[in-house]
Amino acid sequence: MKRRVAITGFGLISSLGDSPSLFHQQLCEGKNGLGQIVEYEAQGFEPQPGGRVVSFAAETYLKGRPLRPLDRTGKLFAAAAKLALESSGWTAEYLATHDIGVVLGTMFGSMHTISHFDRQSLVEGPSCVSPMDFSNTVINSAAAQTAIWHKLRGINSTIASGATSGLMAIGYAADLIQCGQQMAVLAGGADEFCFEAFCGLERAGLLCGPASKGGCAVPFDGRRTGMALAEAGALLALEDWDSAQARGASVLGEIRGHANAYNAAWNQAGRGPEAIIRAMQCALEDAKLSPSAIDCISASANGSVADDRNEARAIGTVFNHGVALTAIKSMIGETLGAAGVLQSIDFLETMRNLTLPGIMGLEQVDRELVPLNFCRQPTFISAQAALISSLGFDGHACSLIITSPQLA
Amino acid sequence: MIRSASVAVTGLGIVSSIGTGRRQFWDALLAGCSGFSRVKSFDTRDYSVHVGAEISDFYPEDYVLELQPAMIGRTSQLAIAASRLALQDGALDLADIDGDRVGVCVGTTSGEPHYIERFDDQYVQGCTEQAGQELLRGYPCHVVPFNIAKELGLGGEVMMIPTACAAGNYAIAHACDLLCAGKADFMLAGGADSFSRITYTGFARLGAIAPHVCQPFDRNRKGMIPGEGAAILLLERRELALARGARIYCEVAGYGLSCDAHHMTAAHPEGEGAARAIKIALAQSNIRPDGVDYISAHGTGTPTNDRLETIAVKKAFGTHAYKVPMSSVKSMLGHTMGAASAIEAAVCALAITYGCIPPTMHWQSGDSDCDLDYVPNTARKHEVKVAMNNAYAFGGNNSSLVLAAYSRSGRQHQ
Repeated sequence: MKRRVAITGFGLISSLGDSPSLFHQQLCEGKNGLGQIVEYEAQGFEPQPGGRVVSFAAETYLKGRPLRPLDRTGKLFAAAAKLALESSGWTAEYLATHDIGVVLGTMFGSMHTISHFDRQSLVEGPSCVSPMDFSNTVINSAAAQTAIWHKLRGINSTIASGATSGLMAIGYAADLIQCGQQMAVLAGGADEFCFEAFCGLERAGLLCGPASKGGCAVPFDGRRTGMALAEAGALLALEDWDSAQARGASVLGEIRGHANAYNAAWNQAGRGPEAIIRAMQCALEDAKLSPSAIDCISASANGSVADDRNEARAIGTVFNHGVALTAIKSMIGETLGAAGVLQSIDFLETMRNLTLPGIMGLEQVDRELVPLNFCRQPTFISAQAALISSLGFDGHACSLIITSPQLA
Repeated sequence: MIRSASVAVTGLGIVSSIGTGRRQFWDALLAGCSGFSRVKSFDTRDYSVHVGAEISDFYPEDYVLELQPAMIGRTSQLAIAASRLALQDGALDLADIDGDRVGVCVGTTSGEPHYIERFDDQYVQGCTEQAGQELLRGYPCHVVPFNIAKELGLGGEVMMIPTACAAGNYAIAHACDLLCAGKADFMLAGGADSFSRITYTGFARLGAIAPHVCQPFDRNRKGMIPGEGAAILLLERRELALARGARIYCEVAGYGLSCDAHHMTAAHPEGEGAARAIKIALAQSNIRPDGVDYISAHGTGTPTNDRLETIAVKKAFGTHAYKVPMSSVKSMLGHTMGAASAIEAAVCALAITYGCIPPTMHWQSGDSDCDLDYVPNTARKHEVKVAMNNAYAFGGNNSSLVLAAYSRSGRQHQ
């Protein structure tokens, strides 16, 4: 008998705030968390929309010890973890008697630290690099730094699968709980905004580009040209269902099922929705729910021309075309490792507030898309179950199903 | 926890500085061959150390048949080679099975470091106008398992677990959980890393690299030697392996993962986390400490690691620590980073299969801090029914994997 997985807390650091309820409220108000990325003009990159968490001050959350050992990804994750720990209701006594696991999903991890370290060695010589920086060049550094900061001694793992990493980290953590490896896990994702990531995505032609040249990062819109890169850290506190009940925890939701799929033919002509369909169907199967039991879908769509189209086709294939569909990345951008986790947090708040955010900026739904119930405006909804979808840029897809704790 | 199914190891694919393929690798290991040589992949003029364990005779076009070898990084090339070798060794023809039921889970420390190193070269030379696309297409570490899946046409769960120097064990552990949960029928799981300037620079800066050889557990040990390699294990549920008549090297009996939550680069001074991982692994495998016949040590050859690892083993095994042979193949291969624990898991499988333990080479003199049986310098015939594979990483990520012999009359260790 599989154990059930309860969500008992959440925490986030994003360009739309650090409080789940405020985050959700701002999404429902259609607030835009993106700014203009102007600082790479010297390298030849025109200003374009992007989402830095400009106001983030790690010392607000992580007090009493020097922060120098953490790089920005580490700070985003450790700060969001602090908020998730507070929200979970795990008492000092609980934490002292339970080993809490940490699972981080990240696409680029410490890429900026790695590159900086290497360049310093090239310019100043290998004996001039910082040992502290070296310790952060491992991709598991953010998860490890978070464990060190918060004294979390359980399984500490890092998942890298591109932009699906955060959602896959939640699935991985849910598996650890389901098979009894761990009773409680903080799981989520983080990616910092850095030049190296920006440069990679821009040169690969995946960013939306300057608005003055028609750049548009609105999901499913006919004008869309690509994504807006952003940063965030976000986590869920996951817990064995029975032990959460036993301690009288307030349960926000349940991880009901999840699945990942890969399309090996992704780079060939005719790359289609096949992997996304398979991830969605397998997640439903894992959750033992029929497509009609899903009340709303939070799409991965970020303004990418091909991926948004494939995702719409997949949804149209698996679900009734009337299922409420939202996408939040025109407001918070593509936060890579944190993306699926932010979508999950948004849905937990949607269940609480009975309002599904609209797809901000969606004016002209792409005519080539399968006709779906694209929610342009905030929509009243009494949702019991959602499918959270996350797509990578390499032909892989992850789907996670979250249900209300009341749903039988 | 009680496992719902048994996971069998049915294929081993290894690419290393002392040999490629199971047979060549194992023969070299038992003969005590070393893979150390002067670093060739970059100029070490400005460094105080110059030795590494690079692979000199690897030809990617022998293994990378569907993708273009030049379009993928060296770590992917090594990992694809190890995957093909594992499938071949396990006599599994992908044409006979549903590729969507085959997953890939790989561990690494650096992923594809050459892409970012090249970018950094261009950056400091002020010529990044054209550079950058490779930071998305080639560099992010998840491309390694994705390239395996692409090369072989696999569509199951594809995941990278970049938990540094313990990553191979983490990947194998997760693959076992997926198989037990029925989410895949076959998993290619292991680790891969290619020789990295960044890694070498960092360890050199820490003063952790030995000048000539790696001498784990020796009194005069001077450090580790960075290396490269890949190992992929073909894993499947026991009943499936039996049904298709596969050779079963051994089974994965269980695993234990823990975190020191102490310091990024220094292990816990009393080996607390490492000992806890061992205990969790034994409990999950339902094996008593004295049921373990061989320990494949992390054994990097740094003064601190070997001392603390010895403490942790004593803490977890009690008096049996003095009776169980424990060797480090890093004395021959150097530290292959994310590949290390996957290679060492393969070593455990081979030790179980052939009843022989590879030595800890270059061991000259005993140390009061390291006073266990490290199988010095000569391979030893020794029946191994249960082997434990220990690996530790930056960030205090500890891992212990238990591999156990399989016999048709039931698991031998019970």
